[in-house]
Amino acid sequence: MYIQETAAGNQFDAIVIGSGISGGWAAKELTKHGLKTLVLERGRDVKHVTDYPTGVMNPWEFEHRNQLPLEVKQANPVVSKCYAFYEGTTHFFVKDAEHPYVQEKPFDWIRGYQVGGKSLLWARQTQRWSDLDFEGPARDGFAVDWPIRYADLAPWYSYVEKFAGISGNKDGLAQLPDGEFQKPHEMNCAETHFQKAIASKYKDRQVIQGRCAHLTEPKDIHFQQGRAQCQHRTICERGCPFGGYFSSNASTIPWAMKTGKMTLRPDSVVHSIIYDEKKGKATGVRVVDANTKKMTEYYARIIFVNAAAMNTNLILLNSTSNRFPTGLGNDSGVLGKYVAFHNYRATISAQYDGDLDSTTAGRRPNSPYIPRFRNLHKQETNFLRGYAAGFNAGRSTYTNNEGIGADLKKSLLNPSWGGWHVGSHMMGETIPKENSTVSLDGTLKDPFGIPQLKINMFYDDNDEKMMKDFYEQFTEMYEAAGFKNIKTRDSKQAPGLDIHEMGGARMGKDPKTSMLNKWNQLHACKNVFVTDGAAMTSTSTQNPSLTYMALTARAVDYAVKEMKKQNL
Amino acid sequence: MERRIALKNMAVAFGGLLSLPSWAQNWTTESVAAQTASRSYLSAADDALLAEIAETIIPETDIPGAKSLGVHTYIQKIVKDCMDTQAQDALENGLYTVGDISKKSKGKDFVAMNQAERTAFLNELLTQGADEETKTFYNLVKTLTIKGFTTSEYYLTNVAHYQLVPGFYHGCVPISTSK
Repeated sequence: MYIQETAAGNQFDAIVIGSGISGGWAAKELTKHGLKTLVLERGRDVKHVTDYPTGVMNPWEFEHRNQLPLEVKQANPVVSKCYAFYEGTTHFFVKDAEHPYVQEKPFDWIRGYQVGGKSLLWARQTQRWSDLDFEGPARDGFAVDWPIRYADLAPWYSYVEKFAGISGNKDGLAQLPDGEFQKPHEMNCAETHFQKAIASKYKDRQVIQGRCAHLTEPKDIHFQQGRAQCQHRTICERGCPFGGYFSSNASTIPWAMKTGKMTLRPDSVVHSIIYDEKKGKATGVRVVDANTKKMTEYYARIIFVNAAAMNTNLILLNSTSNRFPTGLGNDSGVLGKYVAFHNYRATISAQYDGDLDSTTAGRRPNSPYIPRFRNLHKQETNFLRGYAAGFNAGRSTYTNNEGIGADLKKSLLNPSWGGWHVGSHMMGETIPKENSTVSLDGTLKDPFGIPQLKINMFYDDNDEKMMKDFYEQFTEMYEAAGFKNIKTRDSKQAPGLDIHEMGGARMGKDPKTSMLNKWNQLHACKNVFVTDGAAMTSTSTQNPSLTYMALTARAVDYAVKEMKKQNL
Repeated sequence: MERRIALKNMAVAFGGLLSLPSWAQNWTTESVAAQTASRSYLSAADDALLAEIAETIIPETDIPGAKSLGVHTYIQKIVKDCMDTQAQDALENGLYTVGDISKKSKGKDFVAMNQAERTAFLNELLTQGADEETKTFYNLVKTLTIKGFTTSEYYLTNVAHYQLVPGFYHGCVPISTSK
């Protein structure tokens, strides 16, 4: 159902800007209620399965065996830093030159401009937030109080989890509420050893299996989506022809398409949202065709902005009018401020000499997780908030590569088992600050004539203290498990590479200090909803995508009720 | 271009011993351009020499060796596309050195030697006061030969037992049955 370029074709009930993880959900929920919905995607179309060109390629089939050509690296210093950017995935990432931006401070902006956005590429960890997260800003005196609590979101977490398909254990932890889980992935011997060692030493620390968006026990609802059980290929970022993990492409977008109510328009770069001062609401959007550069307007009763955190800020900032001279809905002046991210700089690794008679078989698209244990119920350290961490153990083989000839070959053909390598990475909550900002550059434009985004995000003293604590605590925990050769590392990576940028259009109770109300609705322009990362008041330690999905489904439910009441 | 100049300089240094091989006598502007435009950057002779060096490092036994697995093609592709000009020069100059020294000190082309002679030659090349560039060349070719061999379809399928679609993950299996 691609759009007909007629005047009548430009009027819709709802417009969704973006087709990534939250935009896909907006499309699915809006069309479920029968709303004629236009989904605008700035990138090209990527159809499930048929547009995954490397999805079933063996490693030896790649021209450079998955190594990046030097030319690609040199032309793309930013995106080349991303762990998931390699020969098999370059087509799903934005190249540096394609969408320039201004780094007031170093920021590695990793983007996926295509139908499905970064939902094709995400790491698929899906941990719920708890009240210990939602109450954080109020308790610790930063940002503003969240206008919602866990109870507001809990049923929507369940709702999206059932459809997306999440695997995990019911661990019964206050800081990481249980969800609607399919059976968890197994831990290996070394991971179970660590789990037991931590349980015996600490009452307040747990090693659990990560909860992730993989189908381990697909239900009817997943078969109806055309998805099948995860096949443990662990090449997810190339697109999964089985639909084993959740993406917009495999799930929400085709589901919305089936209703016959969705019009998907790829190659549509949203310039701004149109605000009608007489009506006192938004009436539509201005779209630049990515190929022809021609601008077209589309109209709708409600608009969902799901362009991904940074670009959602960009669109709102660029949507100026007499009523909103500094950006749509920006009466508070906080638009583009209080942006934050997750601190992924700190890692720790070691060796484990036990369980040498065992190893793993097959592959696992997931790894164990250590939920936050610092400052959980009260302030107890010299830094605010805390961190979660991943944990992963594995064994690899090695060969003696001395010499040349038949002996070398014999050695290569008979690899020996190495011991277990273990490692953890910190996922630290960062504090949103007023001077952590995104804004529009006064002169520089992108290839579509839209001002370039200036990004000014940075680590602060709290982040440094938190990293020090992570090193200390995890060294102690690793020692408790008998791990040897413990090494800590600071990658010094710039913000952005975590790909968890959040905020800028935060939710809050007070229109004077926030952009969005408790329904993700612009306080000052009620028919515009923001339900992606831009809405986040604080960052927590959990991977944020599941929360975006739940916020989106909840906001659409509210929007549709308001439309029926003629309030929108 | 710099490589060509370097080669010319080397030829001068070696007393003008460099003369064009017979197959190169028919070079024309067109044939050179065609070769430059292709994915390979080594001459056919250099490519053949590289194949024999890789084959010396990992020889054919009852299972395929480097040459039949096309490891030299992999090396050339990686050096050309994924590495800098320094590595490209090291490969090209190193191949020249091997060709030159083999003729001068052994009286025959490397490709004309048997496996034992080739192995001895490469070992000598490294041990007998090799300069930095020769060491760089040797390590580059050896590292990439091993990588090309262990990432080949043959190795991944028959030795590493790679499966594109494993369908499972078992956390703890006894090591004897895990392969």
